[in-house]
Amino acid sequence: MTPLVVFLLVFLSFPALVNIVYSLSDVTFQTMRAPEIVGLRNFGEVLIDPEFWAASWFSLRFGVLTAVIECSLGLALAIFLSPIVSRHGWTMAILMLPMMVAASMVGLMYRLVLHEFAGPLPHYLTLWFGTSPAFLDANNAFWTLVVVEVLQWTPFAFLLFHVAYISIPSEIREAAAMDRASAWKIFWRIELPMMKATIAIALGIRFIDGFRVFDNVFALTGAGAGGSTMSLSIYIYQSFFKGGQIGQAVAASALLFLASLVLLYGGALLHSRLGQRRAAA
Amino acid sequence: MTKMRSLMAAGLAAFLSATAIPGIASAEVTVLGWPGGSEETALRAAVEAYNALPDVADDDKVELLFFNRDGFYDKLQADLAAGSDAFDINLIATYSVGRYAPFMEPVDLGADAEKVFGKPILETMQFEGKQYGVPTDLSLHFMYYRKDLIDALMSDEGAKTKFAEISQKYLGEALEPKAPDEWTWNDWAVTALYFTKSVNPDSPVRYGTVLQMKNLLFNMMVFQSLPRAYGADWMDASGKVTVDSPAYRAGLELYKKLYDAGATPKDSLSYEYPETNAAWTSGQVATALQWNAAAGELMNPDTAPGVAENTAVVAPPAGPEGRKDHIHGLGLGLNKNSKHKEGAVRFLKWLASEDAVLAYAKAGGSPALSPSVVEKIAAERPDLVKLGEFAGSYGYVMNGATSANALSIYEVQAKEFTAYWAGQKSLDEALSAATTSMTDLLK
Repeated sequence: MTPLVVFLLVFLSFPALVNIVYSLSDVTFQTMRAPEIVGLRNFGEVLIDPEFWAASWFSLRFGVLTAVIECSLGLALAIFLSPIVSRHGWTMAILMLPMMVAASMVGLMYRLVLHEFAGPLPHYLTLWFGTSPAFLDANNAFWTLVVVEVLQWTPFAFLLFHVAYISIPSEIREAAAMDRASAWKIFWRIELPMMKATIAIALGIRFIDGFRVFDNVFALTGAGAGGSTMSLSIYIYQSFFKGGQIGQAVAASALLFLASLVLLYGGALLHSRLGQRRAAA
Repeated sequence: MTKMRSLMAAGLAAFLSATAIPGIASAEVTVLGWPGGSEETALRAAVEAYNALPDVADDDKVELLFFNRDGFYDKLQADLAAGSDAFDINLIATYSVGRYAPFMEPVDLGADAEKVFGKPILETMQFEGKQYGVPTDLSLHFMYYRKDLIDALMSDEGAKTKFAEISQKYLGEALEPKAPDEWTWNDWAVTALYFTKSVNPDSPVRYGTVLQMKNLLFNMMVFQSLPRAYGADWMDASGKVTVDSPAYRAGLELYKKLYDAGATPKDSLSYEYPETNAAWTSGQVATALQWNAAAGELMNPDTAPGVAENTAVVAPPAGPEGRKDHIHGLGLGLNKNSKHKEGAVRFLKWLASEDAVLAYAKAGGSPALSPSVVEKIAAERPDLVKLGEFAGSYGYVMNGATSANALSIYEVQAKEFTAYWAGQKSLDEALSAATTSMTDLLK
């Protein structure tokens, strides 16, 4: 028990305590050892900073969109490719490849792929259609980033759904088929409800990953023209290291932590209420 | 037995962490250098030469330490703030001298240093009048241009009419083609428009120029020589921020005009150093304002086979205040927490000597040297002659650009200026926001 307590104290409590102190202090790199307590000022400054809200909105949109698209595509692939993947296991390895690449490398790779002069995509688009869109300009960058994220992480959702899909006992499908249920009905009434928990988990994981996105966005567009692709993680990083506003950066992290806590607690509460209602019915 | 092995492993780890790491800092002078590239190669050669000197004591021998370039300054900032003594000498740059100065100690490089480097170059490593480092490498910008295209333009009488038409349409005055050495920023802009396919369908290349417009602090360094040529500065002598000035407006508007006219690639708002090089080597660009460090790649037939032989450089074009070229130096300075300060200072003084800079330059470094010193290496490194010439004649450092918040100021400018170029903010809004943030940062 003692080692566990020591571990928790050293690795969790101390950083948490430092973060709390810093979030309530006027502190820079020069004054890290002598922070001046200023109360809730940092929180106030973060909350009235339009950049914080713009970054939060970017992260929220990015997280929701990528999670929904990845899970929809992953689910479709799991169902349509299930016979092939079950028969030829090696195809799974190929489908998983994008996940194996570090996110920052993906960002760098797409910087090359989308470059007007060096990239294959603009080259062929120009060759075939006489022009190529500016994938990374302020108007298109958001959607380009969504596509890049989806291409990398849809295999993760696919993997979860494939496992859930093949875990459904075949007897259930056979029984439904004997009752003349159509393929759509089998999917809608049997398979989908049985995969509900996996779908919720996949959506949750992908949303969290999308919401806290940093590496590939930072490598591909940075904060974007006028901060147009600044995620909350990039905002915190820039405030901390580039701006040297340590107190504000930590306060923003704390706000993010509180928002996550409220979201998770709300989700758990909703789940429990729904469970109770179902049991009562 | 397993328990014994675990204990032995733990003991070994404890021994190593207690002895090896402090050992680096105390046995010799440890230098934390800029990793990768010519800077590392040159520093290694210089250190080898220093360590081989007969009068260098064993305790003063220099050892090098490198970590990755990615996030280098963030890691250095964290190390310095934590009071690390794992290195005695660390890298600094002009734009970060003020930020790191509280964790460093000024050094007296001696009277000869000025003879070796010249006053403006030494100033790139100064903060509040104190010398914080030896300027080892200098960065500035060249205007790269395609000799074949410009020669063809200059010799084609018929092209002058088209050139004047374009000039009249976009700048409101009929200009004539000029040699790059005589370019004003407007001459360059019209030349860029002339060589833009969407403006002039007869252009042999797709774009007249390639602008680095990504929201990135280094791109502001490239950009600011344009407003500077019109008289721009960050603040006046009284400390008032002067970014909202006719000079900055002229520069920002000219960039936007070129971007909107399609004279630079559509994706320029995501372009930085490597994208510019890729655009140039594609052979589809007529001019580019780019760092001097790119010359090795862009003028080398192995790395730029299609264009190297026709690539030439001049200093950035002139404005009403003449030609201006942003300079910043990389250098080495003394860590305040060093455990071996005397040895470290001895090495820094040697590094500022003529012998040392020549050894450094011969090994591929890019120090800016005074004319009398650079002539000794001109045959081997002709590019250093141009570097010294441009730095000496046109080099400038903005008022406040070595302050503690210089990096943050560049960040602010990058955000606000790119917002204007992307059409997300009006010029007034962008400059007003930049003024507010800069005033706060330069307090």
